[in-house]
Amino acid sequence: MDSKPEVKVPVRLSTRDPSIQLEQEPGPLLVQTTLRRPQLSALVNSLLRPDDKPIPFDILINGQFLRTTIDEFLTNNGISAETTLDVEYTRALIPPLNVTSF
Amino acid sequence: LVHLDDVSALTPESARALWLSHEASTHSLSQQLTESLRLILAPTLATKLRGDFRTGKRLNLKRIIPYIASSYKRDKIWLRRSLPSKRSYQVMIALDDSKSMAESGASNLALKTLTLVARSMAMLEVGEVAVTGFGDTINVAHDFDKPFTSEAGVRVFEQFGFDQQKTDVRGLVHKSLDLFAEARRKGSSSAGEDLWQLMLIVSDGICDSHADIQRLVRRAQEERVMIVFVIIDSSAGAPAAASAPANGSEGVAEAEKEKKGIMDLQSVEISPEGKVVRWKYMERFPFRYFLVVRDVRELPGVLSGALRQWFGEVVGSV
Ligand SMILES: [Mg+2]
Repeated sequence: MDSKPEVKVPVRLSTRDPSIQLEQEPGPLLVQTTLRRPQLSALVNSLLRPDDKPIPFDILINGQFLRTTIDEFLTNNGISAETTLDVEYTRALIPPLNVTSF
Repeated sequence: LVHLDDVSALTPESARALWLSHEASTHSLSQQLTESLRLILAPTLATKLRGDFRTGKRLNLKRIIPYIASSYKRDKIWLRRSLPSKRSYQVMIALDDSKSMAESGASNLALKTLTLVARSMAMLEVGEVAVTGFGDTINVAHDFDKPFTSEAGVRVFEQFGFDQQKTDVRGLVHKSLDLFAEARRKGSSSAGEDLWQLMLIVSDGICDSHADIQRLVRRAQEERVMIVFVIIDSSAGAPAAASAPANGSEGVAEAEKEKKGIMDLQSVEISPEGKVVRWKYMERFPFRYFLVVRDVRELPGVLSGALRQWFGEVVGSV
């Protein structure tokens, strides 16, 4: 009964880059609030090019780059999971950290 | 960064105005629902013969052998026609007071639904009506033991602001089962085992903790509380078009691009490594009985149809 409740929040994906536009607008998607940028990037890849090598995306929520979990982002910005979030994705400009160790 | 509460609970004046307007606009629909429900409920309100009494109308054959075997001491062998009880049903309407209701534009249709159902139940005189609000917390807006008058409706409206920051459906069902158990104890002297308890949850349908909810729904079934989830789907389709066919033209498809309903809503599970699993949210909805309402005019037909089927199931299983 007292398992940690998993919170989900509706997100609406969009991009300004016509080359990575989704062919089919999926509508709002309910995602876990524990997610970070890499998982959301994986979500976009799964919708955009499920059979190709994934490309990294940066994620912006309400115009701000996501650097934490969604949950932390919501808390820091005084938003609740009751609100549908506008999630924008762009091609990642900076290579992801911790990729090269040589 | 403080989130300003731009939506607060209704003032007494606006609550009254809104209630009266909804009451007037749903009046004929309420009557329609009342008539349908009367037909559904009538057979179950009919008198039944029941035991065990020292005098009565007809012999209870099952008691005859024990009667003789006990040397005529166990003499409660008669059936009597019991009076139909007016308090045979307890109906709780649980209204989602969370912010997503306001965001999706479901709140007004939800209040209309509440008005329609509460008025119908009151007109039917089936028994007792309670109203609860849920979000972050669970609030009893109207108790079972008070009559649901127009004035009560106004009081109820005053308690909703659709600005709660969570949608605790699990907490709602948990608390409601306690409330039903208590109401059953209080009403048991007159109604006994024939008391039927029905919970109508009116919500946009978005909630978490599905596994826990499923367990509670099973418990409700064991405690003979029927839960029907009424999903207010204001996001789908234009409000003017009540029954637009799904196989629309290009233009319709274009218009619906922005407006996806709950039946199209997808749930996603992403593992830390980035493995993505997607499914239709409603395919794993934790409530067994649910209906989707996009226009209040659909409600009498859909709700009475569903209740007829489900009451039938329950009667059949007893
Ligand atoms: Mg909600």
